[in-house]
Formats: sequence, structure tokens, C-alpha cells
Amino acid sequence: MILHPPIIALVFGSLMIGLMVLYASFFGVQILRKWDLRSGSELQLALERKTYLVSTILSYAFGFQLFSLFLFVYTADGISGLFVGAMCAAGALFVNSYGYPALILKIVNFLFAGCWLIINHADNRASDYPLVKIKYVVLLILTPLIVLEAAVQATYFARLEPDVITSCCGALFSKDALALASGIGALPLQPMRIVLPLVLALTFGTGLRFFRTGRGPYLFSAASTVAFVTSVAALISVISPYFYELPTHHCPFCILQKEYGYVGYVLYVTLLGGAIAGMGVGILAPFRGIQSLAESLPALQRRLSILALALYGLFTVMVLYKIYSANLRL
Amino acid sequence: MIELINIRKVYNAGKPNEFVAIEGVSLGIESRKATVLKGPSGSGKTTLLSMIGCMARPTAGRIMLHDREITSLPERFLTEIRRAGFGFIFQQFNLIKGVSALENVMLPAYPAGERHGPLRKRALHLLDLLGLSHKASSKTEWLSGGEAQRVAISRALINNPSVVIADEPTAHLDTHLSHEFMDIMARLKAEGKTIIMASHDPIVYEAGAVDRVVDMRDGQVVGTGGNP
Repeated sequence: MILHPPIIALVFGSLMIGLMVLYASFFGVQILRKWDLRSGSELQLALERKTYLVSTILSYAFGFQLFSLFLFVYTADGISGLFVGAMCAAGALFVNSYGYPALILKIVNFLFAGCWLIINHADNRASDYPLVKIKYVVLLILTPLIVLEAAVQATYFARLEPDVITSCCGALFSKDALALASGIGALPLQPMRIVLPLVLALTFGTGLRFFRTGRGPYLFSAASTVAFVTSVAALISVISPYFYELPTHHCPFCILQKEYGYVGYVLYVTLLGGAIAGMGVGILAPFRGIQSLAESLPALQRRLSILALALYGLFTVMVLYKIYSANLRL
Repeated sequence: MIELINIRKVYNAGKPNEFVAIEGVSLGIESRKATVLKGPSGSGKTTLLSMIGCMARPTAGRIMLHDREITSLPERFLTEIRRAGFGFIFQQFNLIKGVSALENVMLPAYPAGERHGPLRKRALHLLDLLGLSHKASSKTEWLSGGEAQRVAISRALINNPSVVIADEPTAHLDTHLSHEFMDIMARLKAEGKTIIMASHDPIVYEAGAVDRVVDMRDGQVVGTGGNP
């Protein structure tokens, strides 16, 4: 294991979050089994007091969870110089078989944690805990993933051997390589040039409709989710060569480096944030009928929709600017 | 109407020094009336008052305020109810030293974000009603016991609460000032406020303005009755 400060922070941070969610899940089971707001029993009052505390702690834990995805990628990029063959995080993650699974788990948990934070925020707007059971059900789904992520990430860092010869991103994301990553990099140019604008247009259209009329939350939510997946695929296959001004280079990590002004972080923040905000609109939609949320929920959904639109809009503007200003024509 | 349903309050639960302050109290307190919780020290009067005023939560049981259940409310909702619904007069007055009587009266209204001008005017009006306008700029440590008491009453009224809660309000007052205090409470009741006091002072619980006396002992209600 390489004792690098960010690695220690990530391992201990994930360990702490893992322990917190395990405790919160144990408490969540009690909530799911014993919660009865009509009761004035000692247990019910204790659960009411405790859920406020547990939710607050989890909010901070999931806040770190969101941040840790970027710290993980930044760390992988930072240690890439220690491995022969690695040029960026792509190579560092390929040093052993736990790097990419850890990254995928972190992305999945990022999205789940974001959705949990939205549900928790909505629940806190009402005085009668209307979503308390929902948020603990989501937590129970998320807990094994968080614990698994902590284990896989710790194993990845523990098994880092500096003398390993790894592959560079040029090889991993080339069209000839045999991997999912290379498959995405090899996605045909022309269809992606049509699919991405269509998906983004659908997202903006459904988002504006929802913002104006409050109708179609599920459609907008689905469009936002598809837009996230499509945009990431397009970023690798079509867009990244414009940033590198190199038609054969499809690495999704090099744009996170200083040479490219760390622009990748902004792009990924817009996509991940847009996805969470967009998904949040749909996740909250089934609860619009709850009386205590009647005022706050539509307003929150509208804020989320405008946030998603703003983030996807920023992504679109940045990409279009790069495509038209780059010294590359594909 | 404030309704207490099977209230229990335990301090240091599960520890060797566990203390049951309130045990199984169910009580209805009528609006626009004056109710006194009467009993010896340690009978649970202050604990019950603090739970009615949303300053403490029961260990078990529910409290309904105008048909709204308040014991389950998260703190930020409770804060709003406490601020808008209740005015508190404490046994020790709890005025802030070093600032003027006027500032003390205005303090509870600051979190609401009201403009300073109208708020100051209202605070001065309250001090005037209680015959203290000439002491508005005096620091609280310069006030006599009776004056401090009236500043505390003004402060309790600054947010125009529907319920005024007073805990042993005459404990530090002489007989004359105690009667004066009860006269003020009678005026507030006549204006439509609900008055709830905890006291073992006969001047309080035998006062004509008091509609109901609730006898407490060892954390339980042992009897209730109205004043003739």
C-alpha cells in the first residue's frame, strides 16, 4: 500500500462512512418496524429524536461520499507517475483488478447518495416525517454498496505495487483494445453526433415543460438519466478528441489534468449534478399527494429541474465552445 | 386548548441517577383562561411548564396545541411555534445584563427579521403599558426587582404570543409587587391571552383572575379545582 495522504483520507473516510451507514441501517430497521407517529410511546419519541440526529450525520457522510469520487480520481491521477506505463488515472486504476470496480461503485454510490440527500431534504421540509420510511429503505439498499465500495477501494489501494507495469490510457481507450472502455471509445462518430443533441434536446424540452407546467416529471427524470449516460459515452467517443486535439485519443481522465485546465472536473460535476437533480424530480413525484409536502415539494422539484437544466446547459455550452474552437475537425 | 396526553418525563434515563420528574400526566388547559400549576418544590411544575412551552420534550406522551401535535415536531418547526406562540417569564427574569431594558424586550423578536423601527416602537409601547417607558434606556442591572419583572413581562409579550407562561413569577417579589404582577396577568387574560403559571405562592393561586388550579405532587396531578 502506498501511504499517500489522499489515500489515507479516502480509506479512513470510506471506513467511517461505512460504519455510519451500518449504524444508521440498524436504526433504520427499527424505524421500519416500530415507527408509528400516532403513538406517544417512549420508543416512538426516542425514534423521532434519533432520526433527526441520524439524518443530520448521514447528510454529512453522504456529502463526503460525493466529494470522495473526485478525490478518488484525483488521487489515482496523482499516483499514476509511480507506475510504469501509466499516464493518468486510467493507467493507475488498471494496476490491479480493483481499480475500475472501485470507480464504478463510487459513481453508482454518488448517484444514490445524491438521491438520498434529495429525499432527506424533502422529508425535512415537512413536520410529520412523511418520507422517513422511504429514506431508510433507500439507505438499506445503499448500505451494502457503500460497504462494498469501502472494501473494494481499500483492496485496490492495499494491492498497489509500484513495480507493476500497467497500460496507458492510449491503449485502454483505443479502438483496438478489448474492453468496455475501448468499446465506448469506438462508438461510431456520426450516430453519436445525432444521438447526443437529440437526448439533450429532449432533456431541455421536458425540463422546461416541467418547470413551466409541473407536468411530466417522470419523462424529464428519465431523459436526464439517459442524458447522463449518453453524455459520458459521447465525452469518451466524440468530445474528448476535441479537448486533446488528437483524433485517436479518447481518454476520459486526461481532461482532469492540469494541462487541460482541470476542465474534466467541471464537465463531470455538471453531468453528475445534472443527473442527480433530474433524477430527484422523478423520485419526488410520487409524494406530491402528501398533504404536508403539498407546498414545499413542487417548489423543490422546480428548483431541481432548473438546476439540472442549468448544469446540462453549462455542459452543452462548454462542449460546443470546445468543438468550434479546437484545431481539430472530425 | 392545550392538551397533555399521558406525559412522562425522565431525566438521566437508564443511569443510576435516573429521575422521574413527570409520571402519566393528562391534562387539558383551556384557552383564554388563567391556570396555575401548584405544588411544592420538586413536584414537576417547572418540568411540565417547559414541556408545554416546547422548551423540553417529554420522554413519552403527546402534547396537542390547538389540535396540532407538537411533541413530534423537529426542532426547527418547534422553534417557530415557541417563538410565535409562547411568551416566557422566568423565575430569575433572565434579563441580559449590560444592555438596556428596551433591547432586552426587543431581543426575542430579532430572529423573525422584523424591521428595527416598528419593532422598537412596539417594544416602547409595551414598556409604556407597564409604566416603564422612562426606564427604556436603563441597563437591566440598574433596575429594581419590580422593574425587572415588568421588563421580563414586556419581553414575553413582544411577539404577541397567545400563551404566556410564568414560572414562579413572584418568588423574588414582595407582597405589593406580587399583587401588581397578578393584576397585569388579569389584564392580559382579559385581552384574550392564555396564562399558565407555576407557583406555590397563595397570592398567585388564590388570585381572582385564576380560573383553575392544578395540584401537583411527585410528578403527578393530585387534584384540580377552580377558584371561587
